[in-house]
Amino acid sequence: MDKKNSFLKRFRLPAGLFFVALILPLVVSEFWVHVFTEIIILGLFAAAFNLIFGYMGQLSFGQAAYYGIGAYTTGLLMVKLQWPIFVCLPVSMITAGLGALILGYFCVKLRGIYFAILTMAFGQFVFFIIFQWYSFTGGDNGLQGINPPMWLFKANAYYYFSLAVVTIGMVLLYFITESPFGYTLKAIRDNTERTEFIGINVQRYMLINFVISGMFCGLAGALWGPFNRSVAPDLCSWQNSGHPVFMAVMGGPHHFLGPMIGSVIFTFLNAFVTGFTEYWPLVSGLVMIIVVLLMPGGLFGIIKSKGYFETKAVVLEGNNPGDTGDKKNE
Amino acid sequence: MEFTFLFSQFMSGLTYGLMLFLVASGLSLIFGVMNILNFAHATFWLIGAYICFTFWSLMEAHQFALWVSIPLAALATAAFGWVCEVVLIKRIYKRELHEQLLITYAMALILGDLIKIIWGPTDRLIVRPPIIQQPLHLFGAPIDSYFIFVILIGFTVAIGLWWFLKYTKYGHIVKAAVFSREMVGALGIPIPKIYTWVFTLGIFIAGLAGGVQSAIGSVTLGMDTNIIIQAFCVVVIGGFGSLMGTLVGSLIVGEVFSFAILYWPDGAMVLIFVITAAILIVRPWGLFGTPLRA
Repeated sequence: MDKKNSFLKRFRLPAGLFFVALILPLVVSEFWVHVFTEIIILGLFAAAFNLIFGYMGQLSFGQAAYYGIGAYTTGLLMVKLQWPIFVCLPVSMITAGLGALILGYFCVKLRGIYFAILTMAFGQFVFFIIFQWYSFTGGDNGLQGINPPMWLFKANAYYYFSLAVVTIGMVLLYFITESPFGYTLKAIRDNTERTEFIGINVQRYMLINFVISGMFCGLAGALWGPFNRSVAPDLCSWQNSGHPVFMAVMGGPHHFLGPMIGSVIFTFLNAFVTGFTEYWPLVSGLVMIIVVLLMPGGLFGIIKSKGYFETKAVVLEGNNPGDTGDKKNE
Repeated sequence: MEFTFLFSQFMSGLTYGLMLFLVASGLSLIFGVMNILNFAHATFWLIGAYICFTFWSLMEAHQFALWVSIPLAALATAAFGWVCEVVLIKRIYKRELHEQLLITYAMALILGDLIKIIWGPTDRLIVRPPIIQQPLHLFGAPIDSYFIFVILIGFTVAIGLWWFLKYTKYGHIVKAAVFSREMVGALGIPIPKIYTWVFTLGIFIAGLAGGVQSAIGSVTLGMDTNIIIQAFCVVVIGGFGSLMGTLVGSLIVGEVFSFAILYWPDGAMVLIFVITAAILIVRPWGLFGTPLRA
């Protein structure tokens, strides 16, 4: 197979998805355009989370904190200072990255279940600060009236704006995962001790990755505020931190696009189910159990094991993303 | 005045701390033995509270209604926990950490909605029997007399668990399993059976705690999400799998919460997270845990 051919093969799925995403809003009703916007925003959130989970092999149960920081940064800047949205997005990435730097500094000292608990504790920490700080964040009332500029007011316009931002974000994430840095992360995931032996400062790499992940979570959050016209502290709660975990697991953390596919399924299901019942948590819980019990490796895992189409796997075969690298309870 | 005030605050902190202990001890036991972090633990606690309310409302006319409902609620919740273990948790022993977390997280979501379906969104309030309606005066401070009962139950469970772990055969097995499951299995002890009963015991304590909670204030939806996070904090502070640690951790969290709310009401929860994070950073295995498993 020549190089050009493999290049085409490699990118036909993302390119196909992109074109579908480009065309679909033209043929469906406004409701579904809102759902698509939600899908791509949450997909970016899940993909950013997967940088820690699928690539670094640690489970963060507190990514919603950085998502929330991003959402609140944009919300506050737009409501209180009327800053343009183009400035708000990068600033949100910076604040979320700063939050991830401060909190991640402590998280990356731990592994496995302790990493998960500390990220969750810090996530709740951020949640309670936002929840209690009435004068600044509006407490449990949240922030209302985060209106995007006039030219983005229509559902379609905001969708295409989000699509552009998310596409740029995903391309950047892809370059990061394919860079030497990304491969170092995979080495850390597969064998932390050996990576340390060859002279790599594992903690520093994990921290940098934590910050990058936080920044992109923040970017996704920043898109959410103007889309929803409001933000609420619930965005940072630990329940919301569970969503990217589930999306990544459902789509397949072994594949770069897995979390995005997970978001497509999860968000569609949400839009569909909430249409006729208020018991969305019940349904989503049942789906989660079915997915975990019956499709380990997610959708991409199934597709790959059946050999439906061969993509060049981002992740080496036979590795479990949740494997913490340290020996389990010997 | 100042002393009596602080004393009554101390007592409410103690009550809250022991309630946390009842929730966190089962959580810690299950994690210590099975290595499964049970997100749904507080949801079982809430189910216990609602079941207790149902039993109470069936016997409303009688004086003893509450006192009979609490143990009944504990038993019913334990039976339900046993079913959940056999049907679901059994399948995820050997799974990855994130899969176990997702399963218990999904359980929390499902059970939370089941509560909503069964008992509806209205708050439920148990009318206390006359004996605990009047406050008790200790050192001149008015103390809710039911608090004394909660404190007694909390310490009784703590002592009972301690006795169980220290002096009974099954307690020894559980302690050994916290230390090394493989070794216990190699000695011919059926590990899956031990798991099932440890889980059921943990849920039994949660159900008991829920029953006790139901008479403290009204039982409302969503109570579980707050307490589960605090129970995690308790277990992290005390150390996973350590009974003493869980007791000390819950008393710390209860008292810190109770006093912080006086001086800095907005920051009470934040303070608890700061303590938790500090402990995790300095001693990831907690105050009383063993570094072996870290």
